Amino acid sequence: MPKLNRFKIKIETGDAGMEGPVRFCINSHQVPLEDCVGSTAAGQTFEGGFEVRSFAHSLTLVGPEKGNWNIKRVQVDFEPDAIAPYSVTLGEVVLDETTELNIWKDPPQPTFDV
Amino acid sequence: MEKVSTQSTADVSVPIEKNTTESRQEEVVPSVLPVESVGETIERPSRDEYEEKPVVRRVIQAPVIDEELFPESQEILIKAQPSPTGDQCMFRINRNLLEGYSWFFSGFESAEGSPFAERLFSLGDVATILVHETAFTLTREDKTIVDWKPLAIEVGKAVRELLADGGTLLSPKIIAEIPSENEIREGIQKAIDEEVNPGVAGHGGNVTLLSVTGNTVTIKMGGGCQGCSAADLTLKQGIHTTFRKYVPKVGAIYDETDHAAGLNPFFQGELNA
Repeated sequence: MPKLNRFKIKIETGDAGMEGPVRFCINSHQVPLEDCVGSTAAGQTFEGGFEVRSFAHSLTLVGPEKGNWNIKRVQVDFEPDAIAPYSVTLGEVVLDETTELNIWKDPPQPTFDV
Repeated sequence: MEKVSTQSTADVSVPIEKNTTESRQEEVVPSVLPVESVGETIERPSRDEYEEKPVVRRVIQAPVIDEELFPESQEILIKAQPSPTGDQCMFRINRNLLEGYSWFFSGFESAEGSPFAERLFSLGDVATILVHETAFTLTREDKTIVDWKPLAIEVGKAVRELLADGGTLLSPKIIAEIPSENEIREGIQKAIDEEVNPGVAGHGGNVTLLSVTGNTVTIKMGGGCQGCSAADLTLKQGIHTTFRKYVPKVGAIYDETDHAAGLNPFFQGELNA
């Protein structure tokens, strides 16, 4: 697991939106996202990020306090230390007050054409 | 709520005003109960109710979308991705090899009637083949070699030739022999209950069956297994062997987080009801 300098997240909300701040959980500490733009209302796109500068043993997107949040797509751009930045795109998922979404993904393994 | 019985005012010691730190600390403790409640039983929140407990949330996984792996092309495109330890190599292809199912070839004998597997085993040094939709994973006989490039190039050439021929890749018998999802679920659950969980319990771990799709099984490793550096090894060596002993036709076996590596990118990470 590389040291993570910063990550940016782009969330496309589906039919069911969410009210309230978008929070994430790093190593079991809940933190609000920074530099937020957009909204998590139905059909809207939200962007935010965080300057981590540490080792993320777990990184999750926290579900809403109440009701369902239908997420159509999540794109996470990781800026690790010493290795090239990489992006991960996650598909549709529904979060609620009992769930959080794992958004941490290790850097992709190198591939070659054969 | 816990029931608390009140005392009479006579039994309650009232602190005497003193100009010391000790006396000031005593003052903050409620010492005298209201007269109307004396002798009655009142309800007071228990210690647990005073403390606001943090909400324990369940961590779920979303499918990883890998749209940029291959460009739009009619050409047969194959990518090789050796594992970090070099013990296996996954090949991704822009064609579906076995739609909706997965199949594990344990050796050359198991490849009979499946030209795809027969050809790969005949390259030499291929120990096992796992085919799952648009991907296949190989392990090799010689575990000391971690450089997959020479063998991967041969594999790519062989697969491209087979696909170009347009013949049958995998024996039709394979699909016909696959048991129902219910039979697989029952067999795997039995394996977990009888052998796997008693085995990992000693380390504080547990394994849960999350889903069965076709003959592909996804499990969750919890308790002491979670985050354990030996979990990958345990999963591959012990659990796979046990599952295949109980359900010989089981295909791919994934840990719920494997899709991060692109092995099962469409797994939802939810229980199959």
